[in-house]
Amino acid sequence: MSRLQSPSALKRKRPDSNSQGMTDQESVVYKLIHEKENMGIWVRDIKRSSNLQDTIVNKSIKTLLDKGMIKEVINVQNKTRKTYLAAEFEPSPELTGGAWYDDGNLDVDFINAVKKLCSQKIKQLKVATVESVMDSVKASGAFKADLKKNHFEEIFGALVLDNEVMEVESNGMGEFAGIKVGKVCYKAIGKRRVGAAAAAAAAAEPRIGAMASIPCGVCPRISSCTPDGVISPGTCVYYQKWLDF
Amino acid sequence: MVSQHGILYAVHLITNQFGNLVAKVCECLLRNGALTLQAIVRRTELSPAKVRNCLLVLIQHNCAQAFILEESVSGEDAGEPGKALTQYIALFVNILHRVRFSKFMDVVSKELGGSCGELFRGLLEHGRLTVKQIVDRAGANAKESTNTVQEDLGKLVMAHYVECCPAPEPLVPPPDADTKKRAKSSKVMVEPLTLEQRVMAVAMPSAMRRFSFVPNADQVADDQQNVNQPPSKDVGEKRKLHDLESDTALEEEVECNWRANFEELLRRLRHKTCVDTIKVRFDDAAATVLSAMLEASRAEEDKVKTANSVPLSLNTIYEEVVKNEKNHSMTFDHVRTCLEELSCPPTFVKTDDESYSIDFTKITEAAQSEEIESIVLKRFGETAYKIFRLLFRAGCLMETDKIADRIFAEKKETSKTLFKMWQDGYLLMELLVLCKHLNILPPAIKCYCICRNWLWAVQTGPSYGGSSYLLWKVNKRLLRETILDEMFHAALNLNLRLAHEIDQNKEVLNLPPDKREGPDKQKFDRLRNVRLLIHSSLMKLDDAIMLFHDF
Repeated sequence: MSRLQSPSALKRKRPDSNSQGMTDQESVVYKLIHEKENMGIWVRDIKRSSNLQDTIVNKSIKTLLDKGMIKEVINVQNKTRKTYLAAEFEPSPELTGGAWYDDGNLDVDFINAVKKLCSQKIKQLKVATVESVMDSVKASGAFKADLKKNHFEEIFGALVLDNEVMEVESNGMGEFAGIKVGKVCYKAIGKRRVGAAAAAAAAAEPRIGAMASIPCGVCPRISSCTPDGVISPGTCVYYQKWLDF
Repeated sequence: MVSQHGILYAVHLITNQFGNLVAKVCECLLRNGALTLQAIVRRTELSPAKVRNCLLVLIQHNCAQAFILEESVSGEDAGEPGKALTQYIALFVNILHRVRFSKFMDVVSKELGGSCGELFRGLLEHGRLTVKQIVDRAGANAKESTNTVQEDLGKLVMAHYVECCPAPEPLVPPPDADTKKRAKSSKVMVEPLTLEQRVMAVAMPSAMRRFSFVPNADQVADDQQNVNQPPSKDVGEKRKLHDLESDTALEEEVECNWRANFEELLRRLRHKTCVDTIKVRFDDAAATVLSAMLEASRAEEDKVKTANSVPLSLNTIYEEVVKNEKNHSMTFDHVRTCLEELSCPPTFVKTDDESYSIDFTKITEAAQSEEIESIVLKRFGETAYKIFRLLFRAGCLMETDKIADRIFAEKKETSKTLFKMWQDGYLLMELLVLCKHLNILPPAIKCYCICRNWLWAVQTGPSYGGSSYLLWKVNKRLLRETILDEMFHAALNLNLRLAHEIDQNKEVLNLPPDKREGPDKQKFDRLRNVRLLIHSSLMKLDDAIMLFHDF
């Protein structure tokens, strides 16, 4: 018997176990996972940091999962990596992808719904800031998810890339009256027409450029096309289709 | 430097209009730059007489220019030391203008009327004419009096649509003297002029001489000079190569004084493009205001590619707007509002202390972006469209995952699209490798290696135990060059396809109208529609070529 042992330690312990019913190896693995809190840890990192054999680590993880002490989460940055979190933590946005992901997959329907509503609000307001649209959307109660300002900024960025709205800076005058000079605002893209002209413009197809309106402009084989080659204007099937009145 | 398909397109245009021999000489010049007569003879394997005639045709139609370099010539064509030799250079821009004659005619006729338009047509068809030839042609065609013709010519010169021809063989100074002179007066770094630009800068007469037309003075001079000349060819007919080979009169130089001023015409077309761009992005009122600004500042513009118009006050702009009867209902406040809207970013109109000037560069860039985005959308799809807009606006390298997040797309799809765009030359790709360990550095220090060669990174990256990231960027200058070359290629293809269609249906074309029945009539109708479609597509594509090449 060791002199250092306390009276409670007199009770003989089961070999390789602790007070939570975990073996030493399981405890090491759990500690590594718990330390990462809501960031989670990749199984390979566990193996590297613990210096335990692969089989022991795998067995420990399985046991901890069965006990409900840890959970497996999908890492949207790298879906093939098995990532584990202590049960009491919620996965961070870096792991889950944030508000726009559902179960590791991009929630396209939700994103499109938010984009559509924001676009409508911008059209109604004529000149809109992120804050004004955010307040309007939250007040409408359209979405259960708690969307923050940065979420709306991401949506507005996407609408700009879709060419539905344009980003401008307020000059404090005219339609920007009431908005601080230099503040970033958004306006719907589209000509300011009224009545029948507006309806006609809305119904019209988007403008196609000169190059995009001919077969060569969008041909994936244009680099192989030569006047007398196998692929040539004379033999081109895209031209055949284009000129088939 | 003209791109490969630019050369092929230009050669095709010359072949169609002047025949194979002239096209061969033209291609030789386009591919090799400036050459002497002997060098052209050697390269084309044509006789000196034929080469000379071809050069005369090209010069007559402003597609080539002769010149002499001031410095001594060395190399294969060296004659006596210090003896300057005449060289010839193809004028690629002017060759492209040959498909725009109908647009130029439209500009001139709308502004100056039908009779000026008809006179102008003659100059386009014949390249360059003396006053006497212009008068003779007008008399033969429309029986117009000399005074009327001279009046019309005066109007065209006053409007700068017609100019005095450049010097036939100007002496071009060495580039060092020229660059130093320009660098002294300008504090901004100036791109060196191409040889073509240097030659034309020297060849052009002074502004006063270039647009100075005195009625009857030229005719007297022509009469005196032509007294002992053999009779020239009829002015009413265009020069064809088969005529040249037997026409000894052309062995002597024909004096031609006047030609179309393509610079001014290009400027008009650039203005039209700017107005159209504003009309699409804003509304008709904004386009009207811009149009008025262009008209008011027209006289001060001296270059096609000028960056900004001269500043104008609000009063001046308003007065110009209401000059047009159609705009009488526009109020002063409405004009001011339009200017304020145009001044918002992306700032098509700059304001400075109550004056307004047009930013041509911004408008041109906006129109170019629209054209490129249209191609990207149709060729690569919606995801690529968003990626392109993101990278174009960012102007810097962005990592794949970051791009996927910003456009709300799956990372796999984003990666696939990025590679497709990169393969077609629309994006640049760079590989960033994060290395934890390097032999020469302590293990704790991370170092970053930017590796341009993808294969090299694959071989060495894993051995360092690091991670690699692909970064993407749009190089605007390279992309514009790629797009322009594709446009030349597409224009050539449209022409070749039209020729193919006509060739396939020549029997139907040769049938008299009353014999076209049933399937023959259907073929004929189809061919008519094919011609219309291809012609209109060519005109639209040429507008895009101007946008990327000339504006």
